[in-house]
Amino acid sequence: MTTRVATDRRAAPRRAWMGWLVTALVLVLVAIAYVQWHQFKLLDTASHYQNDALGWSFSQLQTEQLRLRNEMQSHLDDPALHGLAAVRLRYDIFVSRVGLVDHDRAARIMAQQPMYGPAVAKVQAFVREADQWLGPAPSMPLTRDAVVHLIPMLDELGVPLHNLSLSASHLIYQRATERNSAVRQQAQMGIALTAFQCLLMLALAFIVLRQFRSLSERRRALEALADTLSTARREAEGANRAKSVFLANMSHEIRTPFHGMLGMMSLLQDSRLTPQQQNMLGTARESAEHLLDILNDILELSQLESGKLQVLPTSIDLPQLVAQVEALMRAQALAKGLVLEVHMAPNVPRWVRADAKRLKQILFNLLSNGLKFTRAGTVGLNVTCRGDGALLFTVTDSGIGMDDATLGRLFQRFMQGDETPSRNAHGTGLGLQITRELAQLMGGDISVRSQPGEGSAFSVWLPLPAVGAPNAPAGAADMQAGAAARRLHVLVAEDHPVNRAYMEAVLDKLGHNAVFAPDGATALAAVQSAAEGFDVVLMDLHMPGMDGFAATRAIRALPPPRGAVPIVALTADAFHESRHLALQSGMNGFITKPAHLPQLRDALARYSAAETALGSATRGPTAGEPPMTNAAASAAPMIEVSDDGLDLATIADVRQSLTADQFSRLLEGFFNEQARLLPELQRSAANGAHGELRAHAHAMKGASASLGLQGVVALAAQLQRCPVDAPRALVLEQLGAIERELNASREQCVKRGLLSA
Amino acid sequence: MNASTSTRRRLIGAAGGSLALWPLAGWALDAPGSTGAPVILTITGAIRLRNDRDAASFDLPLLEALPRNSFSTRTPWYPQPRKFTGVPVRDLLAAVGATGTTLVASALNDYRVSIPADDLTRNDALLAYRLDDKPMAVRDKGPLAIIYPFDERPELRTAVHFSRAIWQLRSLHVE
Repeated sequence: MTTRVATDRRAAPRRAWMGWLVTALVLVLVAIAYVQWHQFKLLDTASHYQNDALGWSFSQLQTEQLRLRNEMQSHLDDPALHGLAAVRLRYDIFVSRVGLVDHDRAARIMAQQPMYGPAVAKVQAFVREADQWLGPAPSMPLTRDAVVHLIPMLDELGVPLHNLSLSASHLIYQRATERNSAVRQQAQMGIALTAFQCLLMLALAFIVLRQFRSLSERRRALEALADTLSTARREAEGANRAKSVFLANMSHEIRTPFHGMLGMMSLLQDSRLTPQQQNMLGTARESAEHLLDILNDILELSQLESGKLQVLPTSIDLPQLVAQVEALMRAQALAKGLVLEVHMAPNVPRWVRADAKRLKQILFNLLSNGLKFTRAGTVGLNVTCRGDGALLFTVTDSGIGMDDATLGRLFQRFMQGDETPSRNAHGTGLGLQITRELAQLMGGDISVRSQPGEGSAFSVWLPLPAVGAPNAPAGAADMQAGAAARRLHVLVAEDHPVNRAYMEAVLDKLGHNAVFAPDGATALAAVQSAAEGFDVVLMDLHMPGMDGFAATRAIRALPPPRGAVPIVALTADAFHESRHLALQSGMNGFITKPAHLPQLRDALARYSAAETALGSATRGPTAGEPPMTNAAASAAPMIEVSDDGLDLATIADVRQSLTADQFSRLLEGFFNEQARLLPELQRSAANGAHGELRAHAHAMKGASASLGLQGVVALAAQLQRCPVDAPRALVLEQLGAIERELNASREQCVKRGLLSA
Repeated sequence: MNASTSTRRRLIGAAGGSLALWPLAGWALDAPGSTGAPVILTITGAIRLRNDRDAASFDLPLLEALPRNSFSTRTPWYPQPRKFTGVPVRDLLAAVGATGTTLVASALNDYRVSIPADDLTRNDALLAYRLDDKPMAVRDKGPLAIIYPFDERPELRTAVHFSRAIWQLRSLHVE
């Protein structure tokens, strides 16, 4: 700012200078033009010719006088040879010459010459005399006597004509000299003016150059400023992203022990408590669940902001999705005594490409918002198709509505529509923010109309392209029954025996032929040496020795066809990074543990079928891969835990794949192994062998997740994440908790008839 | 003088040249003096049509029979603009079938000047035999004069063209 003011102040006198300079330049140019015009006039040929010609005319007149004299003398000497006609011609020529010296201009030029007047008068007198015989109308015939009479008169003209001729010549020399000096003078003036003009031009050029330089300096300064600003912006954005990443990680870290807490509280609720204690525990549980909701929101938003979250569109059945959402929300609406109205316009396509999970999330958010802020009346969801093909989801409510000021703040972070202290709606205020970010991530946006007391209408438009109905998976009905269309040769790299047993059972039920490897190196050797080769490899990511990533890279380094075998990752962590790493190392797909039968069936069908077209499916996450979508999905929502720490959904799922006997054997094996392992773990903890402890915890987490022992999963995860420098006592206490949970789970399994006592 | 006019003039010159080559082959020049008028112009040298041994001689009636043109112009020899009437030199040269490029013009007082034929035809020079519609006496710088249209073409107002504007013209020699 200061610089620019100073520059302006400097620029003002410079402009004045420039004005003077230009004025001077114009004046000089005018002067030069005047001088040159003057020179032109001076050199004007006609007048010069006349002046110069006067000398010639005088000398010619003298010559003609002599020639006439000569002709007359010749006539006198020999009239026969030189007739009077010749004399007449000579005389006429002489007279024609007189006209050239006897006129106003000549008189003006010769004014200073005193002999001019008398000489001309003398010539005129001679002509008058001679014209009596030789003129156009002679009064007397030309005779020899006349010629004799005229010769002396002609002779008398000789001296004055000679003198006139001389003085005319001198006059002309003088004029020429004067003219030359005038021209020289003007040429000098012209040179001086030109020199001055050059100086002025140089000054002007200098000023222009300086101006140009200062302009380019200013431009450089502006560019530098812009650079600084953009660097600052990048840094600020980077810091913000880092914060979001940190927040995401923290939320994730907090969530894990939280599940443990909830599990514990569930267990506690089952124990014998006084009604007051029951009541207190209920409140605690409610608060904890609310806190978990908030955590989930924060995690979601920070993932959105740090760009970790991705939209994975697949072909979805839109009416079916809306019906699912409706079914879930109707219960809530009924509980609150509200009417839920869902309407889909007839022009809405049935099949669209969208990320089902994210779309559901948007609808859930908007509908729960509407339900939250409506005390009585109706909440509606209206789906229409806009003219440009985008889908418009409008959620209306007959709730409290919002004024303009509230509307303005609505999509700002941590803002709620109702900020009065007496509000009876709970929430982080992140819901709308998340909804907006999600909508924008999907290429759309959200808008709102509202009047205080008259309810609100939130509209989300999303560009979801209509697609044709996807082909039903080949032989889906058969697979539903369990048997695969083709018997596949599957290699499973899995370090945990329980998981191996589980996979074997599931694959067997699917009708596939499984070979197992306990670590990456064995898996690699198997791929290298198998006689027939495998149709697909299921690869656990975390294994002792060579892990799944390294094994995959090693396999991909093999020559085809062995190096090109489809590889599907199996892992308990659902992080976007892990998935990215897996794809980078050359895997084709991704299944989250516990790998349930439908997922496995889909994945095997997909990747073994893709074997022939492997080139296109090998690299990069292709859109529409259900296993991945599921993997991402299982990261966020809270897992439904039964009161006794068993994940009933998972167990039901596993039971679907296995016979009761098989499952019972798996459970038995798991509990036996843990019973054997626990003393070892306690020893490791006592010795501070943290790495070993962590590996065991990871293995335990994976196995218990496969079996639906959610209470154990939470505790094992907690142990796995236990910091290296945690006090031993704490670690031992955690091991104790795990032991208690294992026993409790076992009891529950027995109670539920899953395991024989 | 711009390019297009000079191009046009050149074309006219060429037309004059071809006129001299073709139709005049059948023509003949009348002999001078048939009306008793004296010969006032003799053209010698590179000409194809003659009427007087190896020359083409003209008396005033013969010249007046040729195409005629007239204009007024100022000259260094008269204080006022004067009207000149006569044969365009181009037509005169065509009439004698001139093939040379230079004319050597001589005056009664033996003044002599060499003029490029092209300069005369291009600049519409006139062989004047009347001054202000009156025949020119020798005393009036007659009987013939070559005059350029000095007023119409100021670029001709140079010493060179003034010296080519010969008066008391007696003969032309085509080279």
